Amino acid sequence: MELEGYVLPDELYYHEEHSWARIEKDGTVTVGMNDFFQKEAGDIVFVDMPEEDDEVEQGEVCGKIQSRKWIGKLCSPLTGEIFEINEELEDEVTLINSDPYGAGWIFKMKAANLEEEKANLYHGESVGQWISEEIAKAEEEKAKAS
Amino acid sequence: MTLKTEKWRLLEDRRRLVPTAGGLAVDDLLAYSISDYGSPPILHLYTFEPAAIVGKYQDIRAVLKLDRCRERGIAYNRRSTGGGTVIMGPDVLALGFGISLRDKRIGNGVSGVFRVMSGVLLRALEHLGVSAGFRPKNDLEVGGKKLAGLSASAEVGDCVLFHASILVDFNVDLMLDIMNTPAQKIYDKGYSCFSERLTTIRNETHRNVTMEETINAVRSSFEEAFGIRFVSSELTSREREKAADLEKGRYCDEDWIFSHRHPPSNMGEALMKTPGGLLQVYLSTAGHAIDQVIITGDFFSTTEQLNRLESALKWTLADPDRILEAIGEVWEPDLIYGVSPEELKDVILAAKANCDTVPGHQRPDRTSQGRA
Repeated sequence: MELEGYVLPDELYYHEEHSWARIEKDGTVTVGMNDFFQKEAGDIVFVDMPEEDDEVEQGEVCGKIQSRKWIGKLCSPLTGEIFEINEELEDEVTLINSDPYGAGWIFKMKAANLEEEKANLYHGESVGQWISEEIAKAEEEKAKAS
Repeated sequence: MTLKTEKWRLLEDRRRLVPTAGGLAVDDLLAYSISDYGSPPILHLYTFEPAAIVGKYQDIRAVLKLDRCRERGIAYNRRSTGGGTVIMGPDVLALGFGISLRDKRIGNGVSGVFRVMSGVLLRALEHLGVSAGFRPKNDLEVGGKKLAGLSASAEVGDCVLFHASILVDFNVDLMLDIMNTPAQKIYDKGYSCFSERLTTIRNETHRNVTMEETINAVRSSFEEAFGIRFVSSELTSREREKAADLEKGRYCDEDWIFSHRHPPSNMGEALMKTPGGLLQVYLSTAGHAIDQVIITGDFFSTTEQLNRLESALKWTLADPDRILEAIGEVWEPDLIYGVSPEELKDVILAAKANCDTVPGHQRPDRTSQGRA
């Protein structure tokens, strides 16, 4: 799906704090930040990532992302154990901006409660309305600021 | 029927200079108080003991001369919000503010926080007789000179922690003595570029504005802007316990203060002859981003325009397209007479190419540190 310039691939599941989850063929989950987040945040300066073997819960803040002076949250979209982090980001953190759904992935996890927790994420038809509301809020703010 | 005015909490520390660990711990507590303990929004106004406080993801060994800090009795620590180093002390007002992002009065998201809070602080400055403006990305300025710095971080639940430092007065010599900054080289040549880039409330009002007056102006401005009344407040016993945990577990912990979770820091400079004169750029970088840039030379421009240009470049990725984009945000014809945006971009990139690792810098090591 592409909505007002924001790309949100249909196969992904989205957490309300703008992390995405891709369920891979082997059942593992790849996580990153979505296009709306990276465009709103602007150039990412640093990402403070979780570590391998960390156990995280759905919605838990497991990292922080600095863009300019603002520090935003990296929330895990699902409960589970992190088994790999994207080391490329240490040298090229801007991959989150340039390729948010590809080379800019942040970590991979084994989800503990996938089927149940998927229901708490935006997917399919629900993505359009949610992201439209997010865009409207951002535009309202830009209008006030100008 | 009488409408009850909403009450918010005000934590003040007017009688003492607050140690860095204690002050920063109380600021961090604000989000917990609102999110977990059901508190209304809280404003924390205080002054620190003389101290240098770095941004959450800065390399403290690279940005501060720690030996000079120790020799001069200047404390140092790391805050939980972003941005650059601030030099705090009895003449710099520290402000911590915690509020839920669900509160409609704070606007939408992060952009809203900065827009609304800069408006509140500009109104406070106006009460004191200072006509200032907001300078993107996160400063308040008068005529191109910075008077206050703002930063923020998403914290517990929906709560945001907003930080500001407001210069009532400022000691530029101390700053240059304890910081590693590209400005040092210019200063060594006898030119205090910071007096051209910073200003203070006392400087702007030409009178001895007190910290008390400044605190009162900020308090009144918040009350007017949000339509609330502050109630002077103390921490509850539960909050005191949480603040003590944060103080001990974070701000007294060397793993936090000397955290290695940061992009690598470098500094460099470059010089170019242009039709408009000699153009010199001093640069420090944090990873791929520009941390500080100082543009100087014997060309014609105004301090105000140069400072806006430098601010636009701060935290911009140091690649050709993004540098040109940032320059384009503020560029006007003849902003630097006889110098083109392309030439300025080229000399910035040359300074980047000349960058050396700052003494004391260590490569980030993610595996050995905890995270807040």
